[in-house]
Amino acid sequence: MPDVTLRGISKSFGTTQILHDINLEVKDGEFCVFVGPSGCGKTTLLRIIAGLETVGAGELSIGGRRVNELAPAERRIAMVFQSYALYPHMTVYRNIAFGLKFSGGRKAEVDAKVRRTAEILHLTPLLNRKPRDLSGGQRQRVAIGRAIVREPSVFLFDEPLSNLDAALRVNTRIEIAKLHRQLAATMIYVTHDQVEAMTLASKIVVLNHGRIEQAGAPLELYHRPRNLFVAGFIGSPKMNLIKGRVVASDAEGARIALADGRETRLRKVEAALAPGQEVTLGIRPEHMSAGQGGPVALEGSVDAVERLGEASYVYMHLADGTNITLRSPGDSKVEPGSALTVSAASGAVHLFDADGLALAHIAIPA
Amino acid sequence: MGGDVSLAEQTASERRRPWSHILVFLAPAALIYTVFSIYPLLDTIRYALYTQDEHGVAHFAGLANFVDLFSLPVWADQFRNALVNNLIFFVIHVIVQNIIGIALAAMLSLPKLFGRNLYRTLIFLPTMLSVVIIGFVWQLILSPLWGVSEGFLKAIGLPQLFAPWLGQESTALVTISLISVWQFVGIPMMLIYAALLNIPEDLVDAATVDGANHLHVFFYVKLPLILPTIGLVAILTFVGNFNAFDLIYAVKGTLAGPNFASDILGTFFYRTFFGYQLQLGNPTMGAAVATMMFLIILIGVMIYLFGVQRRMQRYAL
Amino acid sequence: MTRPIARPRLGRIAVHGALLFYTLVAIGPILLILVNAFKSRRAIFNEPLALPTAKTFSLIGFDKVLAKSDFGLYFLNSLTVTIGSVALVLAAGAMAAWALTEYRFRGNAFLGLYMAIGVMVPIRLGSVSILQLMVDLNLVNTLTALILVYTAQGLPLAIILLAEFIQQIPRDLRDAARCDGIGEYHIFWSVILPLLRPAVATVAVFTIVPIWNDLWFPLILAPGNGKQTITLGVQQFIGQYVIDWNAVIASLSLAIAPILVLYILFSRQLVRGLTAGAVK
Repeated sequence: MPDVTLRGISKSFGTTQILHDINLEVKDGEFCVFVGPSGCGKTTLLRIIAGLETVGAGELSIGGRRVNELAPAERRIAMVFQSYALYPHMTVYRNIAFGLKFSGGRKAEVDAKVRRTAEILHLTPLLNRKPRDLSGGQRQRVAIGRAIVREPSVFLFDEPLSNLDAALRVNTRIEIAKLHRQLAATMIYVTHDQVEAMTLASKIVVLNHGRIEQAGAPLELYHRPRNLFVAGFIGSPKMNLIKGRVVASDAEGARIALADGRETRLRKVEAALAPGQEVTLGIRPEHMSAGQGGPVALEGSVDAVERLGEASYVYMHLADGTNITLRSPGDSKVEPGSALTVSAASGAVHLFDADGLALAHIAIPA
Repeated sequence: MGGDVSLAEQTASERRRPWSHILVFLAPAALIYTVFSIYPLLDTIRYALYTQDEHGVAHFAGLANFVDLFSLPVWADQFRNALVNNLIFFVIHVIVQNIIGIALAAMLSLPKLFGRNLYRTLIFLPTMLSVVIIGFVWQLILSPLWGVSEGFLKAIGLPQLFAPWLGQESTALVTISLISVWQFVGIPMMLIYAALLNIPEDLVDAATVDGANHLHVFFYVKLPLILPTIGLVAILTFVGNFNAFDLIYAVKGTLAGPNFASDILGTFFYRTFFGYQLQLGNPTMGAAVATMMFLIILIGVMIYLFGVQRRMQRYAL
Repeated sequence: MTRPIARPRLGRIAVHGALLFYTLVAIGPILLILVNAFKSRRAIFNEPLALPTAKTFSLIGFDKVLAKSDFGLYFLNSLTVTIGSVALVLAAGAMAAWALTEYRFRGNAFLGLYMAIGVMVPIRLGSVSILQLMVDLNLVNTLTALILVYTAQGLPLAIILLAEFIQQIPRDLRDAARCDGIGEYHIFWSVILPLLRPAVATVAVFTIVPIWNDLWFPLILAPGNGKQTITLGVQQFIGQYVIDWNAVIASLSLAIAPILVLYILFSRQLVRGLTAGAVK
């Protein structure tokens, strides 16, 4: 079983520690996406799994076999690079065949494998071209072909879509998802784009400063972010964060004084809240609506309205300066400069403590 | 030149600019370059078609100088000798220089190499110095009088290897070629080093993931990608070698001894032009030799431009 | 084939060994000369590889060179010729490079090619005519003759390097100046030239070295009358005092020293120029 297991993986470059004690299990056939801001260590982690960087500390195993000391080629992995890394002096055919050269396959066998791969990726008419004669999307497919042909047990992708334009990116994303289903292989994919992560992953690993902030299914991360970082990173536009202080709390719910002076009542808060405790309320833009509809009401003035057609994003600020984004219907009549009251159901509110850890997920159950 | 400005192709903002600017900017360079470089080159070729009588008056003589150069034993033997020596000089350069240059560059381009800049700077140092000075330095070192090299070979247990390399007919040319390689190996090293650094790390990583070891990576990925640079080094060396003069003049003098064993086209040209010992100089024959050198270099450059460079296009990395 | 991923220590040591060895091969001969320049004749022969000690230290070689030849004058000649040529190459080269990259005019491409000839074809081959020309201009045995020839020799490469650099200056910068109504000469002088400064260092190093080191043209155009450059001066001096080892070694050291200093000061620009040229 080609599970990938990381136990206590750490890595330093010189005196800077890039990864701290990473523990993770990627199951056979899973599509696991590492996501995080640049410099969070996600690419280093991928390169460690590939064998391009040494393991600083900890144990890495693939399919139950410890691979710390194995060369990349012996790990039964294949990698697709951000720059595609196509050999510019070789034709598409030779690019795809290059990796088979060293595994000692017979010529006819290699040829059959290359042609089958080209068939899958619609590269057959391009086999005799050099990379410079290919479009960005075609190069991307060759890079993927080079990985497929080796029939690895784990595919590694390092931001493979970042060099493509927006339209092609969406297409290729769907192609990769299809490929994953078709091959039923384990895939590990690095990106900084949370949309890519949400759409492709069966498991998302959010990394920040070399630590795993949270790992789980996309919707689990969306509905039950473990801390403020994950809450802010997953979802677009970002979750609104409003500072507040607990006034009173009992079995029925909690009263919380917000930074702009208003007070709000939340029902059925499962966490123990002490009066006077500092908290942060998190509400996603799509869970708010204009008007007095819910128990959590906020009043502010509108700075700008972006009309996308299917929705309008309203950007406003509260009396204390907190910025709030609201997703309202496409035909919303809100105008910039006007005053607006927005509200949310108490079930849509995430509560975080002063350290940014989630207190209670009273949000819509996953 | 350059004064004739085509207005039709210009945009409105450019049209307001009078052509006098262009002329003023170009004139100094074009003038000096034309008068002291291009004109003398063309005039030399023209002059090769003349002969001088005993009063120093030049007469048009067609290809007479070239016919003499190829058929009169006085000229032809020396010309052939110089040409063959020059070819040997070049071949030694290309082979030894590229092998050492590639090896040094490959080592210098290893990731996280301690002291990289210092090595590079020091190894390049001889390239900066005058060929004449280098010639004298090696003449002293190889001199049996001083005995430095003899002592050195004794110290490493190979005293029988010592010989007056610069003085023997059989070894003079090879020795001088190797001195020149020693001096200029910094150039191929530097250019190949830069070319190696330009190969994206992703390519090497990809090959590693594909199962290639260090040697595979070098021969299948890196070497093909630095071939254009090696071609460039070869043509630069070719041009430099076929008008070389200083080193042999410094080490062996005008006669390129012993017995013309180290004579190349540059020294042959100088002797023909200025004469030596009792032999008087012959400017028109000198011009003919220069014209031949010009043709040889031109052929070399053409082969490079249309034969080699075309085939080894640089890859957009 | 099992290969540990950690780079083998042993391999690294071997690499350093090889590099150190070649570094010694490269600078050993030069060090040998420099060291022996400060030793007595006896020490030069008895212990050529030893550093000068209190007992063997001697400046007699330098004394002889300075007494028997006009080394100071040769040095000054070389300096004049080099500085004069480099100044002309830079001034005329920058102007031409600017005109060729900035203005579209008929003959532009042809002029570019015309200049490129000089990069590939050595100007030496025109020596017969150059000498004739200098005789006609009455410039034989003058430094002016050398400056003119070296300027012609240095211009093509300088123009190519500078043009490449000018192309990297954002177009908007010049267009903004034009919108402000600034004249073409003024744009060149106060916008382009200041931005060219880093390139100038690289071009200067590439121009200076072949000029300073050249033997051919001093030999042909200015071999006497106290107009010798240092390279020719050393060559003539050594030819005359072959057997005086102190003097020979000292004269070589004196010729090596200036380039050594220049190299230490400018090796960064030089390396940058060489490696940037290879990117093309």
